[in-house]
Amino acid sequence: MPLPAILLILATLFPLIGFIVLMFVGKRMGNPLSGYFGTLLIGLSFACSVWATISWLQGGSLPNGQVWGAGKQPINLPYQWIPVGNGIGQEHKGFLDIGVWVDSLTVSMFSMVTLVSTLVHVFSIGYMAEDKRFPRFFTYLGLFCFSMLGLVIGGTALQLFIFWELVGLCSYLLIGFWYEKKAASNAAIKAFVTNRVGDFGFLIGFGILFFNLGNVTLPDMWKILGTAGSGLPITLPNGQIFSAGLLTIMGIGLFFGAVGKSAQFPLHVWLPDAMEGPTPVSALIHAATMVAAGVYLVGRIFPVLTPDAKLFIAIIGCTTLTMAALIAIAQSDIKKVLAYSTVSQLGYMIMALGVGSWMGGLFHLITHAFFKALLFLGSGSVIHAAHHEQEMPQYGGLIRKIPVTGITFFIAVLAIAGTGFGEIGFSGFYSKDTIIAQAGAFASLATSHGGSKLYWLLFILPTAVAYITAFYMTRCWTLTFLGKPRNQQLYDHAHESPILWGPLVMLAILSIFGGVIGVQLMLRNSINETKNYLAQRGTTISGYETAWQSKLPGEFGSRVGGEATTEAAPEAAAEPEPGRPLTLHEAEHHGHRLVVQWVSWAFIVGIGLGIVMYLPGYSIARRLVAIPPLGWIHQWLYHRMYFDELYFSVFVGITLSLSALAAWFDRWIVDGLVNGAAWAVRQSAFAAGAHDKYVIDGAVNGMGDLAQDIGAAVRSPQTGRIRMYVTVLFVAVALGMAGALIAVMSR
Amino acid sequence: MKMITLQHARARRPCYMKMITLQHYLVLGAVLFVSGLLTILLKRNAIGILMGVELILNAANVNLVAFNYYAHGTAEGGVALSGQVFAIFVIVLAAAEAAVALAIFLNFYNNFSTIDVERAQNLKG
Repeated sequence: MPLPAILLILATLFPLIGFIVLMFVGKRMGNPLSGYFGTLLIGLSFACSVWATISWLQGGSLPNGQVWGAGKQPINLPYQWIPVGNGIGQEHKGFLDIGVWVDSLTVSMFSMVTLVSTLVHVFSIGYMAEDKRFPRFFTYLGLFCFSMLGLVIGGTALQLFIFWELVGLCSYLLIGFWYEKKAASNAAIKAFVTNRVGDFGFLIGFGILFFNLGNVTLPDMWKILGTAGSGLPITLPNGQIFSAGLLTIMGIGLFFGAVGKSAQFPLHVWLPDAMEGPTPVSALIHAATMVAAGVYLVGRIFPVLTPDAKLFIAIIGCTTLTMAALIAIAQSDIKKVLAYSTVSQLGYMIMALGVGSWMGGLFHLITHAFFKALLFLGSGSVIHAAHHEQEMPQYGGLIRKIPVTGITFFIAVLAIAGTGFGEIGFSGFYSKDTIIAQAGAFASLATSHGGSKLYWLLFILPTAVAYITAFYMTRCWTLTFLGKPRNQQLYDHAHESPILWGPLVMLAILSIFGGVIGVQLMLRNSINETKNYLAQRGTTISGYETAWQSKLPGEFGSRVGGEATTEAAPEAAAEPEPGRPLTLHEAEHHGHRLVVQWVSWAFIVGIGLGIVMYLPGYSIARRLVAIPPLGWIHQWLYHRMYFDELYFSVFVGITLSLSALAAWFDRWIVDGLVNGAAWAVRQSAFAAGAHDKYVIDGAVNGMGDLAQDIGAAVRSPQTGRIRMYVTVLFVAVALGMAGALIAVMSR
Repeated sequence: MKMITLQHARARRPCYMKMITLQHYLVLGAVLFVSGLLTILLKRNAIGILMGVELILNAANVNLVAFNYYAHGTAEGGVALSGQVFAIFVIVLAAAEAAVALAIFLNFYNNFSTIDVERAQNLKG
């Protein structure tokens, strides 16, 4: 087995060991020790990941001469697991496989997840120090890390699903960690149930996939369905036709898993509530890793998505990012702001995948993990300093008390706002610009091919949200750290906890340089590895970068792809004359130009506006809200667009009325049946009793009585008077003889 | 005594009309029988009843002997004595019966201090 695979499996198993050990002896280990133990194991995991990354970059070869390594070939180690299905086109026919799939994406994700996990563990030792269930917290964290790493290393959709559910469970456990709080346990249930809705879609997609392929390993899926991006039906190796409509349904079904887990538009409601969990959990699970698992999933199934499915994904992502960004403006709880910011950024990633930017989506996933974990840990530090006050109206001026937190938080704000000049910027600058450029390219390409003008919304909304993002993040930072203290008592008692520093600084460094440490290179390697792997097995998939092209209206779809590969004159495409349909390359060029024109100053505008508006506290905002329409909008946004109320009245209401109906049915129909049956049994028992008493007993007693009567009757001649017997005897003999005599005589 | 009577009767048979016929014996037997029966029916004393029984048995004996005489009396070259033998058996039997009966009565007396058969009702149904 190649070294990186061994190391990554080890990295996956370390947290599991931590989980098992802590589960049994965690309580005995006590407060700091169990935390150190969990941190040590995840640290080992991180070390393994780093070692695996180095080894991966160096590359190597298998005994059969096949080379693996960055940009060469992935490592695919499938194992036969469950003997079901009639797999087509893979080595293990008739088996559901589990396996390990290591490519550059896996390695990058491992490094990111283990790094963030380690930092969050370290942070948690300080943050949770006074919690009475300290060991249990690290137990759950261990289980979560294991599940998340298992999800990333999984080489089959089945494994993805299994670990998918496991991370969901950990999320549930950790949101409800302070289950004494009603809000926390409610939020945990809400998260679980909402995810269930999404997972149902996942199961449908998974079922379609398994039914048609018989096996669900990632390479098989790509190999057989890799041309789905063309939007044409696929002929399976066994001769059956996999229709495009079914492919779309499958893609959307699998995507629905991501909708639940990554808190996309219809199912986003659980994530803000999940902030009831401890803040390190919010940082690790609900910002950096688990919620990004949905994006990772879509990234993994990306080649089998049809254009229709991708358009659907793009629309959902676009809706989500816009909606969440708007809601984030009006929130007052610092963690709620960050939660909606997370939803919005996840929307960016999902939309990026939808418009065909595999690179952009996953790049943003990794950079976002760093700065969002930093933001959450920063908020955790603030909350810790503020003695668990989370409302921003109570903050203000805290940078003087907790400077490290304030500065690192501001770095994260700069990163999420996409701060950068020209070619150099914070991590978010690169990833977000990639996404918006691709969205612009998609929109311009689609419209130039005669598509509806509405395609431009897929560019305009993310662009606008780039401004809004900078604004609301700055608002959050300004209200917390700048200006005058609004709650003097809280301000006076605020203090920075030393153990919380390290992770913050570490993440701040990553937030600054996350865009230039080669993540993009690794992702490009990942694409090449997959392509190489499939090419070796005789399949070319329709490409990660250009998979969306065939969604274009009319018959241009497939033609544009051809042009894009043949055309090798980028300069000539710089100024297309109006009216001519753009080529792919021109569109990409156009997209980049649009980004430079429209997005490059977003962070300045947003940050500037945020600071100007909120430096004096809430006074300007209050004056604005006093204007009626703005006030209404503010109310609307403050109440999160009334989604909770809507869902409550619709789904919960319907469920409750259904349950009332069911209760009525139970009480009157079912109970009626049961009671009626009992009544009938009782009546028949009475009847049987009567029968027993009068008929059976009557017969038995009757027999006795009869015998007694007969006995009495027969007994009466038995007087015991011997002379009477003799008389009777004599009379009888005499009569008999007389009879005989008469008989003889009369003859 | 009876033997003599029989011999005597046979010797004189052909000569006269007024001789002792079978009917005389049968009437005797019947009288004896009825006397015995009435004794049994009317006596309460167990000994009395025993006596009645003896009378009935002897009535039967009379009949047996008489029937034997009149059935076989004219046979040449031998005398058939089965009736007499029967009678002797009956006498023996009567003696045995009397012995048993007296034993029963003795026990009866021991239990009831009387031999009134009307008192012997313990086995009545």
